[in-house]
Order: sequence, then C-alpha cells, then structure tokens
Amino acid sequence: MTLGRILVVDDEPQIRRFLRPALTAAGYDVVEAENGADAVKAVATGAPDLVILDLGLPDMDGKDVIASLRGWSTVPIIILSARDRESEKIAALDLGADDYVEKPFGIGELTARIRSAMRHRGRPDAPPAPVTADGLTVDPALRMVARDGATIRLTPKEYELLALLAHHAGRVVTHRTLLTSVWGPAHAEDLHYLRVFIGQLRQKIERDPGQPRIVQTEPGVGYRLIADTDERNAD
Amino acid sequence: MPADQRDDPLRADPDALLALAEKDRRGKLTIFLGAAPGVGKTYSMLSRAQRLKRDGADIVVGLVETHGRDETSSLLDGLEVLARLRMPYHGRTLEEFDLDAALARHPQVLIVDELAHSNPDGLRHPKRFQDIEELLAAGIDVWTALNIQHLESLSDLVAQITGVTVRERVPDIVLKRADEVLLVDLSPAELISRLNEGKIYLPENARHAVERFFRLGNLTALRELALRRAADRVDDQMVDYLRQNAIEGPWATGERLLVCIGPDALSEKVIRVASRLAAGLNAPWTVASIARADRETIDENSLRRIDDLFRLAARLGAETKHVAGNDFVAEILQLARREHATQIVIGAQKRAWFHHPLRSGLADALTREASAIGLYLVMPDGRPQRPAPPVRLRPRFSTFAKSLGAAFLFVTPATALGVVIDRYTELPNISLVFLLAVLGAAAYAGFAAALLAALLSALTYNFFFIPPLYTFTIASPHEVFALCVFVAAAVLAGSLASRIRDQARSARRRAAAVQALYDFSRKLTGTANSDDVLWACVTQLHASIRRNVVLLMPRGTELEMVAAWPPDTELGVGELAAARWANEHKEAAGAGTGTLPTCGFQFRPLTSPHGSVGVCGYEFGQDGLDSGSERMLAAILDQAATAIDRARLTSESAKHAARQESERYREALLSSISHDLRTPLATITGAVTSLREYGERMPPESRDDLLQSIEEEGARLSRFVANLLDMTRIATGTLVASRDWVDVADVIRTSVARARRYFPAQPFSTSVGPDLPVIRGDAILLGQVLFNLLDNAAKYGAGEAVDVDAQQNGREVTISVTDRGRGIPTEDLDRIFEKFYRRSNSDGRAPGTGLGLSIARGFVEAMGGHIHAESPAANRLGTRIVMRFPAGDAAARKEER
Repeated sequence: MTLGRILVVDDEPQIRRFLRPALTAAGYDVVEAENGADAVKAVATGAPDLVILDLGLPDMDGKDVIASLRGWSTVPIIILSARDRESEKIAALDLGADDYVEKPFGIGELTARIRSAMRHRGRPDAPPAPVTADGLTVDPALRMVARDGATIRLTPKEYELLALLAHHAGRVVTHRTLLTSVWGPAHAEDLHYLRVFIGQLRQKIERDPGQPRIVQTEPGVGYRLIADTDERNAD
Repeated sequence: MPADQRDDPLRADPDALLALAEKDRRGKLTIFLGAAPGVGKTYSMLSRAQRLKRDGADIVVGLVETHGRDETSSLLDGLEVLARLRMPYHGRTLEEFDLDAALARHPQVLIVDELAHSNPDGLRHPKRFQDIEELLAAGIDVWTALNIQHLESLSDLVAQITGVTVRERVPDIVLKRADEVLLVDLSPAELISRLNEGKIYLPENARHAVERFFRLGNLTALRELALRRAADRVDDQMVDYLRQNAIEGPWATGERLLVCIGPDALSEKVIRVASRLAAGLNAPWTVASIARADRETIDENSLRRIDDLFRLAARLGAETKHVAGNDFVAEILQLARREHATQIVIGAQKRAWFHHPLRSGLADALTREASAIGLYLVMPDGRPQRPAPPVRLRPRFSTFAKSLGAAFLFVTPATALGVVIDRYTELPNISLVFLLAVLGAAAYAGFAAALLAALLSALTYNFFFIPPLYTFTIASPHEVFALCVFVAAAVLAGSLASRIRDQARSARRRAAAVQALYDFSRKLTGTANSDDVLWACVTQLHASIRRNVVLLMPRGTELEMVAAWPPDTELGVGELAAARWANEHKEAAGAGTGTLPTCGFQFRPLTSPHGSVGVCGYEFGQDGLDSGSERMLAAILDQAATAIDRARLTSESAKHAARQESERYREALLSSISHDLRTPLATITGAVTSLREYGERMPPESRDDLLQSIEEEGARLSRFVANLLDMTRIATGTLVASRDWVDVADVIRTSVARARRYFPAQPFSTSVGPDLPVIRGDAILLGQVLFNLLDNAAKYGAGEAVDVDAQQNGREVTISVTDRGRGIPTEDLDRIFEKFYRRSNSDGRAPGTGLGLSIARGFVEAMGGHIHAESPAANRLGTRIVMRFPAGDAAARKEER
C-alpha cells in the first residue's frame, strides 16, 4: 500500500528523472506527464491523489491546466515555479492551486508540502478538528482560541482570519483569498487591511510578535499557518 | 440661494491675490518721487537708509549722485558703496552703475539713484529702469528716485507747461508697479530760495535752461502733477487692498479702452490722452492701427511711424494690434466687441478727402453705429503739432518722377495715335484714346500716374484737338464741358484701375508670402530630423527677410550655434551675451531692443508649447525689419519652434523606443539565463537531496541514474556559463581570434567526435572535399562554432542524420552543417543569429540557450568569415548553416613549414 499516487507534470526530462526515484523512495506511486493536455487526461483517467505541476509547459500555460482541472476535480495541486514569476504563482494559487515550491528545491520541502496538501484532502466533510501550533489551539467547532488553556479574545474579523489560516494549516493562503473570504469580494485589493489585522492577530497569539512562529508571511503571496504536525513532518 | 453663491461677492479676488503672490517673489521697488530736482530725494533716501542700516539691514548704495553737496555726502558715511564701472566713451571715462557687480553682491536693499538715467552705449540696457527691472527680478529690493517730469505719459504736458522737452523718460508702468512711492515734497517758494542760495546743483552749460525751468508757475504745476500722481497711487493701493481683503467698495467697473490710430501726427496725442484716461479709469487699453486690407496705401514712412507709435503705446502700458479691413467702422466695432471695450478713443481730425476718402466722418459713423460703447474724441491742438518724423524727399520725388514718366509714356503714343486717327478718319471722339492712356498709366504705375496722365491728356487734347488748335485756349463752351467730363471720367477710371492694380499687387505679395510659408511648412513636415529642420529654418528665414540668420540652442549649460545662413556667419561676444539673455529671459534682446542694443543682431526666443527651444538671431541692419518681414519672421519662428520641438520629441521617442527595445532584450536575457541556470540547478539540488533523504531506500540503479544526472547537469551548466562568457567577450570586443593556419578537416573531425559524445543517439555524417586548402583562423573558435552548429542541428533535426560538409569553392572554403528538421521560415533566417532568439520546437518549448548561433556568428566574423542560414535545405525540409572563409595559400603554408 503506497501513500498515494502523484502525477508529475514537467516538460524538463531532468526534473522528472530525479522526481520519480525520489518520490517512489518516499512511498508514492509516480505517474508522469510532459505537457498540459496529457496532464488533464492523466487526472481524468488515472485519478491521482496529488498533482505536481510546472507552470512553464510547452503546449499550454500551467494556469490553464489548473483552471480546466478545477472545473471538475478537487485534486490537490502543488506548483513548481520560479522566483521571477511571482505574479503567475499568485494567479495560480488564486485559480485553485493548493501550494507552491520554488525551484530549485530540496526534496524534503516538497514532500512536506505533499503531506500537508494530502492530509487536508483526506477529510473534506469531516468535522473541523482543532489545530494546534506552538502551544496555540484553534478549535473551529467551539469557535475558541486558547493558549496553554487560557482563552484568547479575538474580534470576529481576527477570528475569521485565523480560522481560515488554520483550516489551510501548512499551506499558503493568498492575500486575495483571505481578503475576499473575510471582507468580501469588494475588498480583494485592500492589502493594508490584512497588514493591520495580521499585526493585531500576532500581538494576541504569538509568544513573540516580533518573531512570529505561527502565522508566517510569504512575501508578495500571502500567509501560512504553521501547525505542529507540519513542523514535525517537515523536520 | 446656495451658500457658496451667497459668499461669492465677498470672496477675495483671486487675480488680486495672485498679483500679490507674484510680487512676493520679486524684489520690492521703492520710488522717491519729487516734483523737481533739488527737493531732497537723495537726501531722504539716504537718511532712511541710515536708519535701516542701524537696524541691521543689509543695505548697499549702488549709485548715488551727491553733486558735491556736503549734507548729502555725509549721509553716505557707514554705508557700503559699490565701485562704479569705469568705461571709456568717446575719449572720456564715464563712471556708470555696475549692474553685474550689484547682482553678484545681491544685497537685501540696493539704492540706485536717478531712475530716468540713460546708459551710454555698450552697457547691457540703454535705460536705468531696465537695470532696475533686472535687479528686482533677481529678488533685490531697490530704492530709486524720480522727478515727475520724466514720466512718459506726462511728457507732452510737461513740455506744454514748461516749454522744455524732456528726453529721458520712464514708462508709467514702472511707477505703477512700484511697491512703495514716497513723495518728497518741498514748496516751490522754498525750492526757489534753495536755488538762489546755490544749494541745488546745476550743470554749467544747462544753467540758462534750468533757470527758466525753475519758475514759480512751472514748479507749482509740476508739484501738482506729482501730488496727483501720488494720490492716484494711494487710490490704486486702496482698491487693491479692498480687493485682496474682499471688502465691497467702489471698484473700477471693468472699463476697457480701444484706441484707434493712424500714421498722422495727432495719433501721438491720442495715445497720451488715452494713457492718462486709462490710468484714471484704472482700465486696460488696446491701441490698434487700422489699414486698408486691399491696398498698399501705407508707405514705408507711415509704417515706421506706426511702429514708433506702437512702441510708445507699449511703453505706456497698452496692448497693440494691427488690423486690416475695408470697412473701418465695422472693423473698429468688431474689434471693440472682441476686446470688450467700453470706450473707443479716436483722433477727430479732418483729413483731405482724397487722402482717405473713407475715413472722413469716421467719428460720425462710429457715433451712429456704436450703441453701448462710449466714444472719446481727441481734438487737435490749436498750436502746430510736433511734426511727424522728417519725411525723406528723395523717395517721394522719385515716386513723382516715376509717375510722371509713366504718364508721358502712355500719353505720348496716345497723342500720336490721336493725330494719325484724326488725319485719316473722321472719328468724332479722340478723347477715348486718351482715356485708354490714362487707364494704361493707372494699371502700370498707380493712382498718381493716372492723375498726371489725366492732366497731361487734358492739356494735350486741348492743344492738339480742340479748336483753336495748337493753343491751350478753348473757343467753344461745349468743348470746355467735354473736357471737364473727360477729366472727371479719366480721374475716376484711373482711380479704379489703379485700385485694381494695387489689389492685384497686394494679392500677389500676399500669395507669395503665403506660398513661402506653405513651402516652408511642407518642407518641415517632410523632415523629422532635427538638423534638417534647423537648416530649413535658417534658409527660409534668410530668403524671407534677406538678413543673415543664426539659430542657437542650449547644449547643456551653454548656448550653441546650431545653424546659420550664410553658414560662415559668426557671432561676437556681445551678440552671444544678448542671445543668452534672450534665451534665459524668454524675451527679445540685442539690436532694436532694450537689452544690449549695441550688438549687430537681434535675438528672438523660440518658444513652443513645451517651453523654450532656443534662440533665433538675425542681422538687425540700420532700421530693423519692415512690418511685412516682421510678420513673416514671427510666422516662421512660430512654425520653426513647433518643428524643432517636434523633431526633438521624435528623437526622444526614438530614444525611448530604443530604450524599450534594450529593456525587452534585458528581460529576455534575464529570463533565458534564469531558466537555463535554474533547470540544471533544480535537477542537481533535487537529485542530491533525494539521495541524502531516500538514498538507502532506493535501488542501486536509481542511485546511479541520479548521480549521472547530477554529472550531466553540471556539464550543462558549465557549457552555458562558457557560452555566456564567450558572448560577453564578443559583446565587449575583447575577443581576439588568432590567425593561425587551420586544417578544416581536423577541426571537423574533433567537433563531430565531441558532438557524438554529447548526443549518442544522433547520427552524424561528414564529407570533406579533396585537397581542402587551409584557412587563416583560430582552431579553437572554429571548433566551438562547429560544435554549436552540431548541437543546434541535433536539437532541431528531429533525430534525422546531420551532415557536415567542407569544400573548396574558388578562393573560398565553404563549411556547411545541414539537418533534416522542420526548417526555418524565410522571414526568420536572419533573426536566428540574434542573441536569445530561439526557434520554438514542435512542442512549443525552446530547448537551447539562444546563444549558440549568435556566438557562432561572432566567432566566424572575428575570423574574417561569413555565416548565413538557408532553409529549406533539401526536399522542403531542414536547415543549412553555411560558413565561408577565404582560402589560404597552400604554397604559403608549405613555405612556413
């Protein structure tokens, strides 16, 4: 029994050449696709548990692959991208990609992201479980946030923000997603709201707000809540 | 009523506040105004300065005339006095105010006495008030002194009162713009007693005139003028204050004057009267000269006279306008309405009817037509007018002689014809022949000639054809009547014919001017190049105004001559200074202007909507340009400025496009480098971390494969870096190809072997011609070129065989590499040698770095060869890259061995 089936979509044979043995050794089944059309076909026929997708594909834009997949599939998608394609990366996340890894990357980073993405996928309808991070517990069922047993009072907006991050624990949540979910679609561009509220939130939940360990900033992209499970897995 | 509307009348007038703000940036002008010399202006100026100095102000005396009076000169103690500029002048040494020293010293307050003083030639400005204007513009406060009789608008009054014509005059606007006017007053009786005590300095040669000037009546009148002026100013200040503070009060009611003038002597008085009227009403005023549009009725002298009058009007603060039209009344009224004039000022002078037939009764006509506009008539004095500038007799006489000649020219043959007709036929009316002559003279030489011809015809007709023949007497009364009718008809026909002639001439002249402008603008539209525009401008200007013309444009901080016609025109130091001044101050400078008038050129700033683009200078000559040339000049300069501006914008936009191109190129470079560096790096990082993390769990062949991929990617990286370095060497010109004898077959063998190692699956075939000559070159570079071409062919060759071929071709060695891939579209054949150009593969992805072919071309050219691409190579497939090198001399090679 493997940990799951992963579809690797990259046109560079060298990348596929090292991903296949590495992911196999990590316990996954690996399926490969060289271009976007093959990738869409492979998702439809092979039902992979996760897709690793390079954004620069020869036949179509990686973003288009995400868009066409998201029409009918909720399979977790991790993007392989380059640092100089920041805006594409954000667009891909907004289109429904789950996470991203920047090239060049170490295999440990990639497998941590894979685990995080697959964990959330396993229980779409399960009652929301409490998330713990650095001594902080977020319990969505009770709408309660506590540190070391002591309840922390949050404003409704602060709570929504934290709950959203906790729901996607371990994965990056883009500015746009946060803004549209918490404040509504009209505020999708109001980045300064986020800056203010994340600052307030950190004051209340972090041990050292100057060195945040729970809510981490992904510069230019969004925020990521590092839950205890993710940290352990990443090590 | 909305609140803001209710507030409106009480809101401060923005224009008034704006004027206040404008004043804040400039220095403040304080004028000590007196009625006559000796009232103590300098004294009170200096004692005020002493007080200020004690309070610690930075006050400097630029120039003060103490005329040796002790009480005044003692006041200079303790004040800083600027050294005077000593300049040689007609064998004497003059001491003048040193403007540049004052500007350099830049005190808070500067005292410069005698506002009305005229500077000698050679100084920057001909008048001291212009010096002071420059000081004020530089932000220096200036104190100066002025006697009321020097005020321009009062000069006729002063002349009338005192009988002394004042030559040194100051425009009223200077007094009007002064921030403070202090009246220094002394009663006339006291002044006269001071004069008698010898306390007033009088130049010895002018003693008599001055004594006549210092009479009680004169002094009282002048004192009244001064007091009234000061009071007017107080009134103005009051109104300004009211406006600035939005206090309701009896404001000026927005009066505006339109002053119509002609070249006649009364016009000067009309302007002066209008100026005083405008000052009293605190109203802006416009002076317009009205000329017939269809006739060149105005001769040169009149034009010059009108120019003089316009200059006077401008000095008095008026706007000036040339208007052309046939119906004077309609033109005046139209202009008045356009200018929103509330009053029209004209001179009420009866003109001889034949001079201006349409102008007689102008006042009456205006009275009839102008409904809401006031009419102000200026009456001529009883005394004879100051004569208009002396009219040169010579041109007038020559005109007369010419007309007379024309009259004779036409009447003589007419007489002869008449005699012949009279002898051989019984034509009853010989006078018709003379009418023909009059018409001819009119059409040929104008109205004067027609008149003379009519007169001459009458005499000749009478002499030859009216009995008694050969006398000037007339026997029968009906002949007298016939002669009268003939003369009347001749004069009328002549005047009509001459008018048609004038119209035609004027139309021709206008057409020529329009044509010239049209040609010029077409020339300009055709050229976007800055140099062409400049040359078009100077040649057109030269052709139009017939003067030497130069164009100067700022280059960095200096003004540089960029075009001139004739091209060898040179400018002196003074002219360059005037040009710089014109450029900095955006005003005309040099000959004929108030700034540096002694130099030979006049400089006009070229201003476009985007600001000043440069300066145009033309040789001023004796009297400057006539008004036609002046109009041409203005029109051409306008067009030139726009064209130069456009040329500048064009070149800027080209530069911008080039910048964008290089930006795009840099982006492509970055994206290419980042991709080509990152992929091998990602592979290496990924493989290494995989090995470390999961190495033990992997089968041995997977580990070996990962290790091998690390090695391959390392090699790929190193190749890419080498390519980049090669490219840099080519780009920076540091590439040096050695010029050894190279055996081409050898190089091909080595390169193909290397390519086979890299692409084990790719078939290569080589064919080398027999007795292939050596070439001069660099074996290493050539090997690199070949390898790049093989690499390329392997990538794009679709796995089919790649052929390498080398043959001798006359005096050349040709090396080609041919693949059997898809080929290259014809339009891209040249671009493939550009840096970072990449052909997309069938799957859309460009596998290469986009540098290989570019490097190949760089190397081949460095070795003196040529490289080009051909596609399709054969059977509508494939690409062939061909290199040609000059064949070396085999014999030479053997000798070397």
